[in-house]
Amino acid sequence: MSAQLNMNEIRRQVYRSYTEDGLIDLAIGLMIFGFGALLSVDVPGLIGVLGIFPLLIWYLGKRLITLPRMGSFQPGKRMKNQLTGFAVSMVALGLGFLALFFVISGSGENIISDHPLALFGLTLGVGISALGLITRTNRLYVYAFLVFMAMAIGENLDKSILSMDVYLLSVMIVGGLILLSGIVVLFNFLKNNPVLTMEE
Amino acid sequence: MSPTNSNDVNVDVEIDRLVHEPARLKILAYLSVVESADFVYLIRRTGLTMGNLSAHMSKLQDAGYIDVEKDFKDNRPRTMLSLTQDGRQAFNQYRANMFDLLRE
Repeated sequence: MSAQLNMNEIRRQVYRSYTEDGLIDLAIGLMIFGFGALLSVDVPGLIGVLGIFPLLIWYLGKRLITLPRMGSFQPGKRMKNQLTGFAVSMVALGLGFLALFFVISGSGENIISDHPLALFGLTLGVGISALGLITRTNRLYVYAFLVFMAMAIGENLDKSILSMDVYLLSVMIVGGLILLSGIVVLFNFLKNNPVLTMEE
Repeated sequence: MSPTNSNDVNVDVEIDRLVHEPARLKILAYLSVVESADFVYLIRRTGLTMGNLSAHMSKLQDAGYIDVEKDFKDNRPRTMLSLTQDGRQAFNQYRANMFDLLRE
């Protein structure tokens, strides 16, 4: 055991406990990939259902994979306040996006009705970045940037490859990359944290 | 000129030896950030073995610095540790004392 003690590092490690198993990466990757895939096969009605599946994976993964290996903790008061603030901000961000989208897109031609996917990408990017900020996980900033770029740039490229729109393809590729990254993080987590047999 | 006598050094800061031990200091540091943490989480974070953590846990519990609660979650035994008011005070006092001691 190292005798070094740094309270900032300790705090950072505790915050990163939420993301070090890669399950959040898998959930985000699956959501983004599924979003692109469902739009490409023209079943946007299933997108609402799509949110449930990554959440289920995250929840079951935490219970079956993370807890036996990593144990659990109850966040302190400061952390609880930050997490509550984050959850409230994300709900506000989602509602804000929907309100902006419906109000402005109904008022004729404008930049938002012309680029709904870019706005969606920006909203998702801000949400993922906020999660990265609160959990001190730098790779989430990269995901946020990729998601925004895939949606914003892809939307402006009016081209198709293999009869698929470029923007949907780019969204699926980014989702796939995030999934792949999540699998690598999860694999390392499993390798470094075997299940402990408790004999207290 | 006479050599400096180490006994002349006046250390008027009191260091709590129970907190000063590196392993226990690390346990207290983690517990100071969270409300409570289970045994497995502390093993992972501190890098201590089960036996070591158990021994330090007993010492801290005997001193009244931590609370230890055993229960079952999902049919598995779980040992939850949390810092008591005395423990938090001792840890904060230790940090302040060390800061005073090492300050130039």
